[in-house]
Formats: sequence, C-alpha cells, structure tokens
Amino acid sequence: MIPWLTLLAFSPLVGVLLLSLVPSDRVKLLRCIGIAASLLPLLLAFFIYAYVNVEGQGSSLTERYNWIAIPLNIEAIQPYVQSWAFEIDYHLSIGGLSLPLVVMTAIVTAMAAWASLTIKQRVKSYYIWFLLLEVGMLGVFMARDLFLFFLFFEWTLVPMFFLIGIWGFAKREKAANRFLVYNGLGSALLLVAFLILTVTAGLAVHGDAGASSHLVYSGDLEQMIRQLGDAQSFVNTLPGPASSFNPFYLSEAWRATAFILLLIAFGIKLPIFPFHTWMLRVHVEAPTPVVMLHSGVLLKMGAYGLIQFGLAILPQSFASWSTVLAIIGLVNIVYGALLAYVQKELRLLLAYSSISHMGFVLLGIAAMNDIGLQGAVLQMVSHGFISALFFLLVGCLLERTGTSRIDELGGLANRLPFLSALLLLAGLASLGLPGLSGFMAELLSLLGLYGQLPWAAIAGGLGIILSAVYVLRGVLAITYGPLDMRFAQLKGTQAVEALPAVVLTFAIILIGVLPAVVTIPIEQGIERMIHIIQAGR
Amino acid sequence: MESVYAQYVWAVPIAPLLAFLVLTLMRCVVKGSAAFIGVGSSLIACVLSILILLERLSASTNVYTVNVEWLSFGAVHFELGYELTNLNALMLVIVTVVSTLVNLYAKGYMADDERQTVFFAYIGLFTFSMLGLVISPNLLQLYIFWELVGVCSFLLIGFWYERPAARAAAKKAFIMTRIGDVGLLIAILILFWHMPNHALDFQSIGQVFASVDTMSQYGISAGLATWIASLIFLGAIGKSGQFPLHTWLPDAMEGPTPISALIHAATMVAAGVYLVARTFDIFQLSQTAMLIVASVGGFTAIFAATIAIAQRDMKRILAYSTVSQLGYMMLALGLGAVTAGIFHLFTHAFFKALLFLGAGSVIHAVHTQNIFQINGRGRSMKITAWTFAIGALALSGVPPLSGFWSKDAILSAAWESNKLLFAIGVVAAFLTAFYMSRLFFIVFTRAKRVHTEGTDSPIHESPAVMTIPLVVLAVLAVVAGFVYTPFYSGFETWITGVAASDHTNVIVIIVSTIVALSGIGLGYFIYGPNGVREDRWSNVIKPLYHLVERKYYVDELYKLFAVYPLKVLGKVLDVFDRYIIDGIVRYTASCTVQFGKLFTRIQNGQLQSYGLLSLYGFSALLLLLLLLGKGLW
Repeated sequence: MIPWLTLLAFSPLVGVLLLSLVPSDRVKLLRCIGIAASLLPLLLAFFIYAYVNVEGQGSSLTERYNWIAIPLNIEAIQPYVQSWAFEIDYHLSIGGLSLPLVVMTAIVTAMAAWASLTIKQRVKSYYIWFLLLEVGMLGVFMARDLFLFFLFFEWTLVPMFFLIGIWGFAKREKAANRFLVYNGLGSALLLVAFLILTVTAGLAVHGDAGASSHLVYSGDLEQMIRQLGDAQSFVNTLPGPASSFNPFYLSEAWRATAFILLLIAFGIKLPIFPFHTWMLRVHVEAPTPVVMLHSGVLLKMGAYGLIQFGLAILPQSFASWSTVLAIIGLVNIVYGALLAYVQKELRLLLAYSSISHMGFVLLGIAAMNDIGLQGAVLQMVSHGFISALFFLLVGCLLERTGTSRIDELGGLANRLPFLSALLLLAGLASLGLPGLSGFMAELLSLLGLYGQLPWAAIAGGLGIILSAVYVLRGVLAITYGPLDMRFAQLKGTQAVEALPAVVLTFAIILIGVLPAVVTIPIEQGIERMIHIIQAGR
Repeated sequence: MESVYAQYVWAVPIAPLLAFLVLTLMRCVVKGSAAFIGVGSSLIACVLSILILLERLSASTNVYTVNVEWLSFGAVHFELGYELTNLNALMLVIVTVVSTLVNLYAKGYMADDERQTVFFAYIGLFTFSMLGLVISPNLLQLYIFWELVGVCSFLLIGFWYERPAARAAAKKAFIMTRIGDVGLLIAILILFWHMPNHALDFQSIGQVFASVDTMSQYGISAGLATWIASLIFLGAIGKSGQFPLHTWLPDAMEGPTPISALIHAATMVAAGVYLVARTFDIFQLSQTAMLIVASVGGFTAIFAATIAIAQRDMKRILAYSTVSQLGYMMLALGLGAVTAGIFHLFTHAFFKALLFLGAGSVIHAVHTQNIFQINGRGRSMKITAWTFAIGALALSGVPPLSGFWSKDAILSAAWESNKLLFAIGVVAAFLTAFYMSRLFFIVFTRAKRVHTEGTDSPIHESPAVMTIPLVVLAVLAVVAGFVYTPFYSGFETWITGVAASDHTNVIVIIVSTIVALSGIGLGYFIYGPNGVREDRWSNVIKPLYHLVERKYYVDELYKLFAVYPLKVLGKVLDVFDRYIIDGIVRYTASCTVQFGKLFTRIQNGQLQSYGLLSLYGFSALLLLLLLLGKGLW
C-alpha cells in the first residue's frame, strides 16, 4: 500500500532538499526547481482526485499510524485498567471536505510558484519557505487528528511570517509581526479549545473492558465525533471510576466554551468581523504570489476548520447558535462590501471583498443542511481560485505600473487588453455571474439558508447587489475609461505571465459550468455531517 | 405528426455560441471574417427556428422537453435542458431574425472599428444566452441565462470602453438590473422550498399554480403566491426597464446602435415580459400581483412617453419609447391579456429594431445624435427615411401597420376590464404618436437652417449591407400585425392553448386610430416643415417642460437617496474600521508592550534595587501572614 497522502503532503520537501543543494546565485535553476517542486503535489493531487472519483469512495484514502504516546500517571487508576496514556496519531484522510480543497491548494500553489518569477531577491530561501508553506497547507486539509491539525495549522505561520517579512513591500515587517501575533493568539485559543475537547470527549477505552484494557486520551477526530454524537454509549464504555478522572465530559458549559473558542480561533483566520484588521495589512504588504496563497488558501483554513473541526464535533452548539452565525455572516457580507466600495487601493478592495465573500461561507454553515454546506465549500474553493487570479493580475499590474491604486489607474484595456479582460472576468466571477464559479456557491448558500432562516437568506441577497457595486467600481475604473498618458508605453502581457492566469481562469469556468466537480467528492462527507447534526437534535 | 425539427432546438443557441467561442479563442486566425461568422451563425439559428415555428404552426402543439441532470445531491436536482412551446418557438424566431439582421447591419456599421472581432463575439454570446433563456424549461436555468444576457448587455454598452459615459452607463445597467435580479433570485429560493420535490420547472409550476385549489393543496397560501409573483415581477421590472428601475435603459444608448436595436429594443428588454408570460400561472392566482403588474406597466407607459417628448438625443427618444412600449406590454399582462402582451412584444421587436437601425444609419452619416443638429439632414437618405417613416407609423399605431393591431389588442383588453387603464393606454398612444412625429419631422423633413454648426458636406445613404436589414424589417413592421387582428383569433388559441373568441371592438379601433392620427397631426403642426417654433409652446409650460426634460429627476433622486448614503456609510465605516476596530487592536497590543516595559525597568541589573525589591517583597509576605492571623511561628 503506497501512502499517497503522505507523499502528497510532503512532496514539496523534495524541492526543499534540492534547493538547499544549489548555490544561491544560480537563480534560474532555483526557479526551475521551485516551480517543478510545486508541480509534484499538483500531479499527486490530480491523481488522487481521479483515483477517489473513479473508485467512487469519497473517504477511501486514509492513513493512520501511532505517533506519539505519553504515558500518564498509571497509579491513579491502577485497579481498573492496564495503561493510561495521551496519544497523538498521525492520521491523514482525503474524505470529508478535504479533496476539493487539497486540489485547489495544489493548483493555486503551483500557479503562485509560477507567478513568483517576479521575486528577484534571495530566490533560494524564498522558494524554500514557499514550499514549506505548501506542506503546512496540504497537511491542514488532510489531518484527522486535532493535534496533528494544530501542528500543521501552526506550521503555516512560520514560512508565512518570513515570506511577508522579507519579500514584502515597504511596511512588510510590521505586517509580518501583526500577522504572527494575531494568528498566534488565534492558535492559542484553538489549542485551548482542542484541549478542552480532548479532556472532555477524547477519552476512550482500547482493548477489552476490564483490567486489561487501555485508557487513552486522544484528539482523534472520528472518535470524538462518534462519542459526542452518541453521548450515552460513550459514557457506558468508560470503566465506572474512570469518569471521576474525566469530570467535564458533555457538560454544557464546556461545550459552549469550546464552541466560542473555536469560533474566535477560526474566525480570526476566516476572518470574521471584527477580527479582520490583520489580514488587510497582509494583502497590501505581502508580495503578490504570497497574497495569492494567503487570500486563496490560508483564509480557507479558517472556514474549513470551522466546518470540519467545529460543526462536525459540536453540531448542537452550532445549531443553537445558527442564528448568530447567520448574523455574523450578514455583517461580514455587508460590512466588507461597504468598505470595499470606498477603498482607493485595489488590494484593500480585494481584501474587504474577501471578508464579504467569506460571509457567504458563514451563511452556508448557518444553514445547517447539505445545500448550505455544499454552498459553503463551493464558496471556499471558488473564492480560492478567484482571489488567486485577482492577485496574480494585481501582481502583473504592479510590475508594470508600480501602483495598484484605483484613482491612479485607468483605461488599461487599451494597452493591456488580455490582462484587463481577465481582470473583468475575475470581477464577474467575484460578483457571482452564472457560468463562473461564484454563482453556484452563493446560490447554494442562500438556498440552504432559506430553508433554515428565510429572512437571513433574503437579507443575504442584498450582498449580491452590493458585490456588483464594488466590483464594477474597482475593475471598470482600472480597465475602462481614457488611457492615462503615463501608461501609453506599457508592455502587453507575456506568455509566461499568461499561463497561470489561464489555468486559474479555466478552473473558475470549469467549476461554474460543472459545479459537480466540487460537490460530488464531498457529498458523502457532508451527508455524514448532516447525519450527525440531525442525530444531535 | 412527428416532430422533426423540434428535436434540434438545442442547435439553435449552439450556433451563436460556437461563433462566440471561435471568435474569442481564435481571434487572430479569424480576424478578417468576424462579420461573416456572426451573420452565418445567426442565419443558421434563424433558419432552424423558422422551420421549428412552421412545424409547430402546422401540427404538434404538445410541449417538447428534454432535461439533463446538472447538479444533484440530497434534495437538490438541478437540471439543464430545453423546452419547446408555441410561445418559445415564436420567441426563437423573433430573436434569431432580429439577430441575423443586426449582425448583417453591424457588418456595415462597425466596418471601421478595429475591435470588430470582439463585437461579433459579444453578439454571439448574447444571442446564445437569449436563446438559452427562451428555451429554458425551468426557472433556475432561466435565471442563469437571464444573468448572462445581462452581462452581455453590460459588455456591449461599455463596448467603447474609453468613453467615461459608456463606462458609467454599463455599470449602471448592470447594477440597476441586478436589483431586479435579486428579486427573481429570492422568488426562486421561495419556490424551491415550497414546491413539491423542490421542483423549479415550468410544468410543475403550472400544475401547482393551476388553480387556487391546487395551490392550497400544496400548502402555498395566497399571500405567498403574491410575494412570489411580485418578486418575479421585480426581476422583470429591472430587465424591462420599468419604473422605478428604468433609468439604465436610456443610458444604455451609449452602446453601438446595432446593440441598442438588438438588445435594448427587440430582445433582452422584452425578456421581462416573456418571464411574466412564462410564469403567468402564478400571477393569475394573485389579484394583487396582477394589479401591481398592470399599474406599473400603465404608469411606465405614460411616464416614459412624456419624457420622450422633450429629449434631444435621437436614440434616447427611442429608448424612452421602448420603456413606454414595454410598459404597454406589462399593462396587457396585468390585465390578463397574455396574448396581447406577447403580440405587442412580437410587433414591437420588428418596428423598434427598424427604428433603431434607421437612427443608426442617420447617426452613422451625420455623426451626431442630437436631433436639432441633424435638423433635416436625414432627408437625403431616401431608404432610411422611408423605412424609418414606416417604423414610426407602426409605432404610432396607424392602421393597418403592425403596431396598430397589437395596440388595439391591448386597448380592447383594457376597455373590458379597467377603464382607467384604458384611458392611460390611450393617452400613452397619443403621446407616442406625437413624439414619433416630432422625431421624424425634425430629423428628416426640417428645412436646413443656416446656423447649424458642422460641415454641410453632402449626406449619403448608407451601404446596402445596412439598408437591406432596414427594408426587411420595414416589411415585417407592415405585415407582422396581420397575425392577430380583431377579426381572427387563431393566434391567441395557438399561444395560450385555449380556444379564444375574436375581440372585435369598433369603439377601440376608432378611438386608437383617431388618437394616433391626431398625435401625428399635432407633431406636424409644431415640428413639420412649416411648423411653429418649438420654444413657443415649451415656453408656455416651462416648469413642466423642464421637469420632463430632466426626466423627472429620477436619476438625481437615486443619487441623493441611494448612491450618496452608500458612499457616506462606506466612508464612515472606513474611519470606524481604521480607528476604532484597528485602534482597539493597536491599543491592546501597546498595553501589552507597556506592561512588559514596566517589568523590564525592574530588571536593571543594580544590586541595590534588587535588594530593595526583595525587602519590599519580604515585608509584604510578613504583612500577609500577620493579616491572615496565623502567627509567625
């Protein structure tokens, strides 16, 4: 049995290894290795996508090894069980919501690696950090153990910190600091939440009941979902006195605490208003290929975590808070849209538009049904491609004009027809034009939400008007209108730049025309999740 | 009889789609033959749709549906496909005929434009989307194409992207129609959750909303039906430029004139009327919704007609006329006269496309759209002038041209159900005749006055490639009306599927004829070759004239009550975000730092201060112990 998932997650390390062997002045070779190394996980991801779909088993691929076992004070519990330990498993799986997100990550990363040709300084260390970041991102979307997930989640912070801080624009260091501190805070909350969950619901008896059994604390996701889903039999499996070592399990107060911690921790990443200010700086200060990853993939980690490690574990809490989630989503949508409408800097406009779009993910989650969740995942994937395309184009724009301020640009369609056309297409995708990926995502989110909270879905429709308002304002101001004389000499788009843009455009159109490419692989996972939600009611 | 051509309905939209793909993806290869590809593809679609229409006229009246599963999970089963009804078949012919003629016309009109390929590609995409809309078997697919025609309209309005006016108009068109679109979207959300099996196809809708009984049987209350119908109508208001979302349509005239003829006169703007007709079952069950449709339609008809009287831009006059005529169609639908509404859509498509193309022909020659600058210079363009006259007469409702018959059908329906709406219809008809004669006489007959600026170079007739479509459309504008006269109701039976009686109403015929002729007469009196000067009468009613000339200040009201508040709110929130939200974050961060600094100061490396601190600490501990009262030893 070949460990495909491990190969996928760690395949970028091949590139890291090769890069470290090449002297840092061989820039061309370094770039080739960097790009080639990002193609490796892309190929593997495609292979796995094809494999899983041909086999027709959404969660067939899974890898699990015992990894860390920390023995606990056995004397305290001696007569009842043989051993007592805290274990972390190395557990990867492509089921649940993972597959489309993994494929999206691999595509966006490869395109961002290609777009990194604009990076001129310290290419070697850039690509090393870049590939390390990819490992973290892929790992996040496949980990099935709370602590493994947490490790990958943290892993992404370090390369990201350096990528922003070294290769960013003028205020890069401040932005990198802000990023690290804010996300570190989120991670701390996440860790607390995970510890609460493990201590309260992560206890299980392995082996036969009685004196020869093993009592294990673990952050195994499947086990936790199972145990919380069927509380009574969970209690029954524990040896009588063991419950005294586990005084919190199932308590309402701890459940609510864990929920709120998770909401804030993932909410910072998502981001949820008012925890969004850190990402504005990253959008403006980080180099554009890194923003492609940040806006395209890293924000999705928050949304993904919220569903896979929040909703699945604590469905009751989500159900009783669904109205609040919907309101937060609506606030995100409207707040982001209004702010995007008045921005003068295109990158800030896009940052606020991300906040607005992530609101639809929250609406989809608040729907608590398969339609809404499908919509949420579609929105994650779709927004990943759209914002990656946007920032790729912004990068090309910055290369040429040196500015991405809306009020300084204008009439670029004349000199840069290809780039302008794609910018317009990205804009249309972003405002939810049918035939492009954003439409079905937003439709399903609202459709699902209407089944649960009709008023919220109708209010969400407002977001669809507002997105047209701010997207067209920004995109048309840049591409349409009379050409400024300063830009009369701009060079047209080159094939090298065009390639990743074409790939991303193709993905956007493909999902728009055939949304089933995203919905089918996650159908089983979502069905299970709905089952859990309904059982919890 | 077997349906031979009906099974190839899918090929009708595919032909223009292929044209679009070829023109977009192989732009460099096909550069020279863009117009050829455009005309060819639409001609194929046109021939096929005519064959389909003929087949349906001769025999089968059953609905022909094909569906393919598109997206399916859980309760969601979205399908794509096509459906052929008599109404659809008629719409297919309208769209493809106008599209073919406009493609042909554009070959001449856009001959000098270097972005011709893009232009024909966009037209291909539009024609595909419009045909896809027409043959949609369910509301979701209709919505998809509804949005796509909207975006094509947007792209083509902004075709000359370097003009700031075109940019503004394109943006406005998209946003204004989107406000309506959201209404339609919400209607879809409601229907999805209340229809049995979450069905969104028109046949199921027809079954559920067949009567009040079936509706309540499926648990849909009358109030809900009113909401659904009204929300669908909101979509139609946006697309068909009805009050109060009409402001985008006149601005849309910034686009190339062939586009105005195709999209903003004949086809897309009529999609709203088509939508209401297609979902008419829902409307029929709600008196309130019907009243809303009729009132909005009637009001728009008269409202836009008054504006058209005082405009100076040739295309804008026609645009307001379109808004007014679409209001007429809505009025008909609101009165329950679906056939009359569709019939007016049918005739209007031809004569309004004709008028726009005629206007384009003049504009192409004289390079201005201001009628007072044209000032009779259109006279030397014989074919354009004559065909334009035919179009104008048809629009004014002069018998026996097509516009007369369709207007008559609407007015007879109004006469029977609502005399107030009848009166509104008559006044609107009078105004229509008046502004059309004003337009015609100023552009084509006025004596040349010396003071007009611009060159007095001779004006030539447009090339044949542009005049042929004019002639064809002129013929259609004359004959299209005989499909459905007061004396022959086969058309109504064919469209609705219910046997209908003739609607001969002599009073209405006489009234509408008199009204049309008197409107033209008044126009001739004021604007004819020997007419009085315009300012003479406009001075008499100056405030009113000014109000109409400024389009009742609707744009200004939107600016005041929607655009500015949004901008101000955004700005306020921007400050809030920057200084309050981010301020709190910064403050928290700096607090932490300050706190840290406080304790850094203690670690200053001086032995004395450490000693002092230890002493303080020791005393504090002692004090604590004493206070707790446990004693020292």
